[in-house]
Amino acid sequence: MESETRVAYGPVPRGLFDPALDELSWQLLGDRFLLRGEGQHFFHYRKGEGITIERGPGADASEEALWLNGSVYSAIASLNGLLPVHASAVAIGGRVFAFTGPAGAGKSTLTAALGARELPMFCDDTLVLDLAEPRSITCLPGHKRLKLREDALEMTGARREEKVSCTVDKFFALPAAGDVGEPLPLGELIFLEEGSETSIAPILGAARFAKVHEPNSATWLFTETQSGTRAERFAHLGRLAQQIPMARFMRPIARDRFGEGVTLMTEYLRQKLAE
Amino acid sequence: MDDEIVVMRLDNGSFFSLAGTAAAIWRLIDGSRDRAALLSALAAQYEEDPRRLADDVDALLTQLQDARLLERD
Repeated sequence: MESETRVAYGPVPRGLFDPALDELSWQLLGDRFLLRGEGQHFFHYRKGEGITIERGPGADASEEALWLNGSVYSAIASLNGLLPVHASAVAIGGRVFAFTGPAGAGKSTLTAALGARELPMFCDDTLVLDLAEPRSITCLPGHKRLKLREDALEMTGARREEKVSCTVDKFFALPAAGDVGEPLPLGELIFLEEGSETSIAPILGAARFAKVHEPNSATWLFTETQSGTRAERFAHLGRLAQQIPMARFMRPIARDRFGEGVTLMTEYLRQKLAE
Repeated sequence: MDDEIVVMRLDNGSFFSLAGTAAAIWRLIDGSRDRAALLSALAAQYEEDPRRLADDVDALLTQLQDARLLERD
């Protein structure tokens, strides 16, 4: 991925096909991806050639890293046969345990809190899965810095760094137990959900298939880049559903119960060491 | 998948899950068995009187037909 994510600045087409791109939209054509941010801010990826960025009038340079590390990176991963998942993760016992859910579900906050319990961060916001080996799934180390809201910084005790950008109300933060920089096998994908009581339970049977079939803000790009018949896509989803262990972490969102959930998850992950 | 079967309709992408007895019945549908043979095989599998399974089998076969997952002669 390192060679595919190298950046150069220069002129970029306004569209890969007609019509030209509106702001905050993208196009995919073969091995090429084109994204337009705000104003005349364009990101053009071509497989084997890296990324070209054009900053024209109205472009917000402070947002550039967010685009690069977000949608552009996910597109590059997808075009190179890697599956990006909207998740944050920790590593324990040589495996990755990833937390996924919609925006605001608490993925980064939980990851930061587990850092305070000596569990190193594996990634924040995007987990990239390597599916090349048919019988296993490998996670690639994260490329993004941990980002937390003000209240999450207070709850987790993570060390605050600079503000992410003028428009994003979050701060970069240092994970308390550091991070992991090597590929590791996937231990489990844990879905964060709100509930009245705290519990963790495995997801079994056809519910696993339903989970991989759910739209995910990162995996949709992967779906778009994959050609193939409906049967081939079904087989692919079946493979993911069978190979990815899954669990559901239900917990109240109330701040005064946050620690209870972190304790339960810490115990759960430490028990996984014995498996 | 964990003793459940997920079936997809290729014409429209919708999918269905079958568990328990439904999954057992699905596995017995191989194009060679008629209703009687299917009931007989299922009864042998569950060590049950075929007459006690008939209603469940007929209900599932109807559901599968309605979902256009099954064609019957």
